[in-house]
Amino acid sequence: MNAFVKRNPIRAGALGAILIGVALAGAPARADRMEKHFSVQEKPKVTLRNSSGHIQVKSWSKNEVLVAWTNANGKAIVETEQAGNRVEVDTRMADGSASSDQAKTDFEITVPVESELSVRTDSGNVTVESVHGDMTFDTVGANLQLTDVNGYVVVKTIDGSFVCTRCSGKLEANSISGNVQMIQPSLDSVRVQTSSGNILFDGSFMSRGIYIMKNFSGTIEVHFSANDSFDVNANSLKGDVINQASFKPDTHGTPRPASKWGHGFIGTMNDGHAKVELSSFSGTIKILSRD
Amino acid sequence: MQCEQFEQALEQQDLEPLPKPALAHLETCEACRALFADFGAIHSVASELAADPIAPLSEHVWISLRNQLEAEGLIRDPQTRSRSVQNISPSWWSLFQRPAMAGAFLGIVIAAAGTVSFLSNSQSSSQSAAAQSDLTTMQEVSSIPAANSVFKEEVLNVSDDSILGIQRQDTAVTDSIRRNLRIVDNFIAMCEKNVREQPDNPMAREYLYGAYQQKAELLATAMNRNMTGGLQ
Repeated sequence: MNAFVKRNPIRAGALGAILIGVALAGAPARADRMEKHFSVQEKPKVTLRNSSGHIQVKSWSKNEVLVAWTNANGKAIVETEQAGNRVEVDTRMADGSASSDQAKTDFEITVPVESELSVRTDSGNVTVESVHGDMTFDTVGANLQLTDVNGYVVVKTIDGSFVCTRCSGKLEANSISGNVQMIQPSLDSVRVQTSSGNILFDGSFMSRGIYIMKNFSGTIEVHFSANDSFDVNANSLKGDVINQASFKPDTHGTPRPASKWGHGFIGTMNDGHAKVELSSFSGTIKILSRD
Repeated sequence: MQCEQFEQALEQQDLEPLPKPALAHLETCEACRALFADFGAIHSVASELAADPIAPLSEHVWISLRNQLEAEGLIRDPQTRSRSVQNISPSWWSLFQRPAMAGAFLGIVIAAAGTVSFLSNSQSSSQSAAAQSDLTTMQEVSSIPAANSVFKEEVLNVSDDSILGIQRQDTAVTDSIRRNLRIVDNFIAMCEKNVREQPDNPMAREYLYGAYQQKAELLATAMNRNMTGGLQ
């Protein structure tokens, strides 16, 4: 063999390369980044069902959906389907013996700015940036972060946290133990409920907006500025209510006293253009000044 | 006839028509009408579950249902549960992997939530005052397992050690669901205690109803993750 190599170095090199190539071809693909492009019209609907992994959704100006994924262990199969303006992406096990860790698949999805999204995943992280359209998210432990999104957003998590930064439109979020944060929102409808998670609303209450935040324990924290105009009804059955605002009695409709149960109050700030309802079973409600 | 007497009549009903006084009471009491409807719904669920011809709605239906589930290894006697902790089979989860069973349990959960909801909503009527204050005593007195007690016995136990089957899928998901079931169970216990302490407090009932809903949704998510979606 050594003599062959010495006599025919080029042939030996070529043979080696061929052998290596054959060996690589026989091995399962691992950590290969795959991608698919889908031509769409305006406002496509993109659905992704994944088990675990990082999911990143961002937007571009093209009328095209790009789905790129990486499965480090090569144990997951990604199936895609397009029917007109609907694109669906599903992940499933390559074989029954694979663990969910082995099936972990990371996605990078790029969609037109105006797109509808539906994402279902169990664990990992989901980030969405600058997408305008209705969205639904259904996760177990996956954390969800939305930035600069606009639309009707519906979120359901078990214990994944949810952070919404500069979101506008309408939001419905339901979690058992996940925290929910709305930072600089321009939302005109908010319905958020958690069991043990904390809720933070740090933004302006829009005129005609309705904001309902409820939990069992944990803290509900709402930040307001002096210019905000809203009616508030805050009540914690077993916990405390900390209020830094100077509310006047509710002047809209039939005057009614605060509930005789628990701690809380009803009041109005400025003209009461928005409606804010904060309720907790045993958590603390904080209404704090941003100024 | 008062609500308590109606409940006793309901216990002894055995699919026979209700006695006239009970029917008269049913016409005037929204809470008892809701209770009667809920029992009917539970009976329908039981009829789907039981392999044997359906017996009248009496205690023996529930006992035979339990016996059958135990015989199939789908549930364990509470007394033997502690003994067998070291040797747990994934029986509970296999129960939930049967759509009919899963649907039935969810139905029971929803019926339980519905009972609380109806009782909560009917507080304004004078007749419902007794029903409200008797939410818990009703179930303590009755020999028929009420929706709430069935819920407690059969469904809440899932949270402890009974969802091992899901480990095949994802231990992180299993852990998350277990952890959150415990959280919701704790809230249900707290809310129930609060309702007992403050039977006239509508907010307490509203929170209890909300906790039941959370439980039902959590169980639905758990079943959905293993039976129909995600990675199979």
